[in-house]
Amino acid sequence: MNRIGKIIGILGIAGYVLLSVRGYCDDAVTYRLKWLFNASVAGDLYADAQGVFTAHKLDVTVKEGGPERDAIKELELGYAQFGVASADQVIRAVSMGSPIVVIAQLFQKNPLHWVYRSGKIAINSPLDFKGKTIGVTYGGNDETIMRALMARFGLAKGSVNLYSVRYDYTPFYEGKVDLWPVYINAQGVIIREKLEKSGEKVAFFSPDAFGVRFVANSVITSRKLLDEKPELVNRFRQALIEGWQEAMAPGNAEKTIAVLRQFDKDTPLTTVREQLAETRPLIQPGSEKDIGQIDVAAWEQTEHIMLDQKLIPGPVHIAQILKGNLKTD
Amino acid sequence: MFHKRLQQFVLVYAAGVLSLILMKYLLHLSDYVIPGPLEIWHTVLSVFVRYLWNVADTLWIAVLGHLISIFLAFAIGVAGRRASWIGSLIRAAAYNIQAYPMVAVAPIIFILLGDGLLARLLIAVMICYFPLLLSVISILSEPVDSVEHFYEATGRMNWRLQVRIRAYENIHKLTTVIVGSATMAMVGTIVAEFVAADAGIGYSIRIALYQSDLSKILAALFLIGISTSLYLTALEWAGDVVERKFQV
Repeated sequence: MNRIGKIIGILGIAGYVLLSVRGYCDDAVTYRLKWLFNASVAGDLYADAQGVFTAHKLDVTVKEGGPERDAIKELELGYAQFGVASADQVIRAVSMGSPIVVIAQLFQKNPLHWVYRSGKIAINSPLDFKGKTIGVTYGGNDETIMRALMARFGLAKGSVNLYSVRYDYTPFYEGKVDLWPVYINAQGVIIREKLEKSGEKVAFFSPDAFGVRFVANSVITSRKLLDEKPELVNRFRQALIEGWQEAMAPGNAEKTIAVLRQFDKDTPLTTVREQLAETRPLIQPGSEKDIGQIDVAAWEQTEHIMLDQKLIPGPVHIAQILKGNLKTD
Repeated sequence: MFHKRLQQFVLVYAAGVLSLILMKYLLHLSDYVIPGPLEIWHTVLSVFVRYLWNVADTLWIAVLGHLISIFLAFAIGVAGRRASWIGSLIRAAAYNIQAYPMVAVAPIIFILLGDGLLARLLIAVMICYFPLLLSVISILSEPVDSVEHFYEATGRMNWRLQVRIRAYENIHKLTTVIVGSATMAMVGTIVAEFVAADAGIGYSIRIALYQSDLSKILAALFLIGISTSLYLTALEWAGDVVERKFQV
């Protein structure tokens, strides 16, 4: 009994020392993504797989997102320290008292577009929506964006036929729906490939191009972590942005593709290549914008859209939770 | 009967909501993660009538799907009760189809039936029907030797008589299986609405999930519980009536 007690004691001390050393070397944090592993999270995966996090003395567990995952809730419950959420999620959460802050904006342009058959219809502006059947996910941010576009261009409710979309694209393939919401750098590539194979021409409608700048994925953390460990938050942000910079550099394309293939084995190489090419201009549309930069005006517009559509009960003064001015050097 | 079941449901539901609220205050969670009691109350008031109609819409599909499932399960169960290759094939098909995730099968159903009422009904039937079929096969394939032996010995046994004997002798088991499968019909309809429809309470839950609105989900769960209790009570009552009639 005495011997067993000694062994347990030694093991306990050894475990404590090991954990302490690990804690000293690397800060262990969990990073919950918004969606499944694909080109939209290329920089996050790159930072993990290529050792960028480790170089910044961070032990990051990158967790895949999905339709039922909510990084904001996980931050509050302590299951994650960092996460990715869309702006509408963030604004809704802040309006309900969630203590979160935004530390970087991943997409400078929203990847949400509407795909249509350009050989059959011409969409030069939202005014061309009149009489068309347009897919929206009721309750989703695509519905909010479409309604904002309609309001901006004075389209009456009855002038377009909104169609409830789900997981599969059959109604679009069958031609029942004229415009279908897709993420241009994910499903958009796959749908384009399929339709082009069958000899059809497709194009994508970008709400951003017509003044609706509804912010998409951004990196969040809790206000508590920022107040208590600003250095850790800063280090994480810096590592993440480095990861994205390296992943988006055209010279690193093959390395980034290899990382993506490591996590997403089902998507064919050619598709991944195209998805990555479509992701680049969304993350860094031009030299005037830095990767991770928070577009305050776009956030404020997003808040106004949500207020106009009564998706939040009152203003949240979103600029107050945008903490993009952390040191990055 | 309904009164008692309703009381039990409300008790369980209230316990669930109270533990959520307790967790909210113990862990200092915002209304985004778990809404406060006032928020829940206001949401219930604002969506109650709309959700009540949605639940009614779901319930009638569930009842219709359940009736179709019962009819199909008995019709095919009679054929599948025998230890022949047809019986074995039906059982194997039932097990396999039951194992398919509905979200994977749904696109095929949309192609065949569109995304309206029929698709919703079919998905509800598919989820409810197979467990019911397997139970019916299991009950009807169990010989009642004490009775069947006489008819077999006198050469008067035929398949109709065999089914009647086995159904009569297992009437309580059969009514229990039918009542039990009603919850599957409700679940099947809600799943169908979640993946395939633009009506019903499953569809409303999907929208509430997109909006991260737990208050709406709690309101929907409450109404689903009430309507399921109502349907189960009605079935139990019908089962009692049938059992009493057979006993006479």
